[in-house]
Amino acid sequence: MSVLRKASITVLYFAAASTATGLTVEEVELPSHNSDAGALEPSLKLSELAGLLAGRHPKTSLASILEQSSWAVDAEMVEDPVTVTLRGGEEVAVICPVSGG
Amino acid sequence: MASTPPASVEARLDIPEGTCALTYEPLDVQAIINSVTDDAAGATAVFIGTTRNSFKGKVVTRLDYQAYSKLAIKTMADIIQNAHSAYTRSEHTTALTGPPPQSLIRSTVHHRLGTVPVGEPSIVIAVSSPHRKEAFMACERILEEVKLNAQIWKREFYEGEREEDAEWKANVGH
Repeated sequence: MSVLRKASITVLYFAAASTATGLTVEEVELPSHNSDAGALEPSLKLSELAGLLAGRHPKTSLASILEQSSWAVDAEMVEDPVTVTLRGGEEVAVICPVSGG
Repeated sequence: MASTPPASVEARLDIPEGTCALTYEPLDVQAIINSVTDDAAGATAVFIGTTRNSFKGKVVTRLDYQAYSKLAIKTMADIIQNAHSAYTRSEHTTALTGPPPQSLIRSTVHHRLGTVPVGEPSIVIAVSSPHRKEAFMACERILEEVKLNAQIWKREFYEGEREEDAEWKANVGH
């Protein structure tokens, strides 16, 4: 018997990403994969999140905005998205090119 | 039109080197300057960034700012700490032994969020130091690093253009 554990992340949109999607916050359920133990485990590589989000907002400029953006996971900037795997519960922020000061 | 992000809140972080703040209130420049004063300071360098009324020939009517505050405030604090670490020796020192004298006494960065009308300050940076050279250099360094790294965004509204078309600016070209 496989156990399905659902998990989602909270995506934060700011600035251009927020204007493009019309959203400031979005709960995104992670896809589930078979783990070695035979259970269905939710997980997503951060490097794949852009594609997933763009797919949820297809008629917007989000895809091109994400190409120019960085990620923050639980309020820490991520240098290389391929090094991070999301498991559920994380706060993931789209950091599009900044313009403070 | 999307609303103000719930994460774009007021924030304040006090560290030994000084204070960082994000606020929706108008910036009280004199109070911010006063916050870095110290009897050991011979110099206080101040930068005030204000909303300009034009950009490339277009009339700017206002700027809107938002931030990922919990991260932006940490970034601002790191910037201040890095500036203090960078300037730990003054050329003017006469001490021959002992630890290098602190060349910066206290630094502060206050950034305003929300709508900042033309002519009003959006950012104020103040740095106190025994000597002017380090004060100037740290003030400029802090400003440039905030512009490069702080998780804060500015939207520029032009006269005669639709609000929905107002662009989010980017400090670094892409």
